[in-house]
Amino acid sequence: MLALADRLDDVNRAVGRIVQWSALAMVLLQFALVVLRYVFGLSYIFWNEAVLYLHAALFMLGAGYTFLVDAHVRVDIFYSRATPKRKAAIDCLGHVLFLTPALVLLLVYSWPSVRRSWSILEGPISVGGIPASFLLKSLIPAFCILLLIQGLARLMRDILRLRASDP
Amino acid sequence: MTLPFDLLMFAALIGAILLGYPVAFSIAGVAALFALAGWAAGAFDIGLMGALGQRVFGLLTNDVLIAIPLFVFMGVVLEKSRIAEDLLETMGRLFGRMRGGLGVSVILVGALLAASTGIVGATVVAMGMIALPTMLRNGYDPRLASGTVCTSGTLGQIIPPSTLLIILSDVMSNAYQQAQFAEGKFTIETISVGQIFAAALLPGLLLVAIYIAYGLIRAWLRPGDAPAMHESVVAPTRAEILQAVLPPILLIVAVLGAILGGIASPSEAASVGAVGAILMAGHRQGVAPALILAGAGALLLLALAAGLAPVRLQRSDAGLLEWTQGAAYAGLLAIGSIAIAAAVRQVFTAGMLMPALTGTMTITAMIFATILTASMFSLVFVGFGGEDRIAEILGLMPGGATGALIFSMALIFVLGFFLDFVEITVILLPLLAPALILMGHDPLWLAVLIAINLQTSFLTPPFGFSLFYLRGAAPPEITTGQIYAGVAPYIGLQVVGIALVGLIPWFATGLADWLY
Repeated sequence: MLALADRLDDVNRAVGRIVQWSALAMVLLQFALVVLRYVFGLSYIFWNEAVLYLHAALFMLGAGYTFLVDAHVRVDIFYSRATPKRKAAIDCLGHVLFLTPALVLLLVYSWPSVRRSWSILEGPISVGGIPASFLLKSLIPAFCILLLIQGLARLMRDILRLRASDP
Repeated sequence: MTLPFDLLMFAALIGAILLGYPVAFSIAGVAALFALAGWAAGAFDIGLMGALGQRVFGLLTNDVLIAIPLFVFMGVVLEKSRIAEDLLETMGRLFGRMRGGLGVSVILVGALLAASTGIVGATVVAMGMIALPTMLRNGYDPRLASGTVCTSGTLGQIIPPSTLLIILSDVMSNAYQQAQFAEGKFTIETISVGQIFAAALLPGLLLVAIYIAYGLIRAWLRPGDAPAMHESVVAPTRAEILQAVLPPILLIVAVLGAILGGIASPSEAASVGAVGAILMAGHRQGVAPALILAGAGALLLLALAAGLAPVRLQRSDAGLLEWTQGAAYAGLLAIGSIAIAAAVRQVFTAGMLMPALTGTMTITAMIFATILTASMFSLVFVGFGGEDRIAEILGLMPGGATGALIFSMALIFVLGFFLDFVEITVILLPLLAPALILMGHDPLWLAVLIAINLQTSFLTPPFGFSLFYLRGAAPPEITTGQIYAGVAPYIGLQVVGIALVGLIPWFATGLADWLY
């Protein structure tokens, strides 16, 4: 079970390692667009939308990695004082009762609009933009699946922690 | 009679968040469970969930929020390049020999970092590790010292540019439009990030002045609490002061000036700030100063060119003159780009780029996950008729519009003890704000009052971020009790600040009206 959890962790680690570069890319691209617009009077809707795509990819695809390194904020008034076992129990409850139903619901109810978008290969958001809105919409199921994968990995580790004999 | 699902849902939300599971997913989980339960009980139309896809897509394409990762990147890079340390050290030596002076220098550095990085955690940790030991060594009252560090660190939320203000402007703008729709207006006005920044600037500086006044009065009344430094220190030379203070001030003036002047959009200005931060970090990590200076100089010239003599290459009548001018600007751009590339490379070699990128991604993902799940929550909550219930409760408050405002502010203040500003802003405000605006409150003024209130939530135990960060960074002889006792007077000062802005709305609306 631990080996499987490791494999699942690898998914988000790999995705995170690539996606974090879009932070730098969006800074440099946006800066270049500022110079082109204000100094040279050139503006490109296509590249403006590229910044938007990088921005959306950063947080939608980065959410799983953020969960991997436990950087989604917790209100830990009680949690920080709990024993490791109790923490594992709270997390198990959260994975099963909160995370999974919410993401499955989001996945199921956003699916029709994503599928429709793919079936017509939906064009740009505004005229002259990137003709691939369907890719942007696909970030929604990707977000759900990456988080569900990480939730499963965490659930397995938490179950192991619960089963372990008290130290 | 069905169950009051909306009220139960709100109670369940608070309970779920207090469990300690990541907040974003607790919010989403409560929304999902109530949607299913309400559907089973026939009190909720599950078909409403079909709007989810469109809602999330709206979040993905919201270009106001693009400024958030850019500002986060700028802040993280400045944090990793240890600019806070330089500032504190120089300012401490500048003011330290005055009674209460160390405290003043901490507040001023807090304000500077607030405007440049805006990251509460980083500011509090840096000041807790550097300024706090110095203050203690020189005989400061530990409570006063830790309270000052904690509070100054939170200025990042109220002094623009700040993430809180960007999210707040989005929420308030929607609320304002909703209120105008309800009034039956046909020409709908909106609120821009620039307006909110302009509105928050003076109140932010007012708070800085209040803190400084408090520090000086306390040092005067009880000299033992905040003595002058008895360690012998060399006063910084003018060159040292310039070197520590000038770059961040230039950066702030450039970024804020462009936004407040209405020249650039927040995300455009943020990208300029982020590139400036890269250059500063590159300089700090040992890129040849001449190269950084040449690059920064070339980019400054370009900025001047943009203002005075931009070329318009896209015009069909662009002739030889335009193309020559354009070529000259391209040369400047090349110099700037080389300096930027050198800085990025140096920051990468120094091992700071990867942590900065990872930090930007996780902070951004955390914020947006909360916004995304909060929109799920509000979809379900509104589906249960929760919105009408809130308007009804506000209408029942004695004292009319003022009573409703005071009730709302008290509610935000109390929730601030448990919740974080993002949750309050994206869950509670969309429900409260339209009703308050409909009662006749000015949306900008309201936004600033709420912003100061939310800033206070960083200071209120048990769940004040600032307190946590200081607990982690403070020397072990400081007890948690001392930190709590130290922030107590500052929480009082926050209430004074809210009251002042509340009674004299000019603080919030003066600059915004003048600019827009």
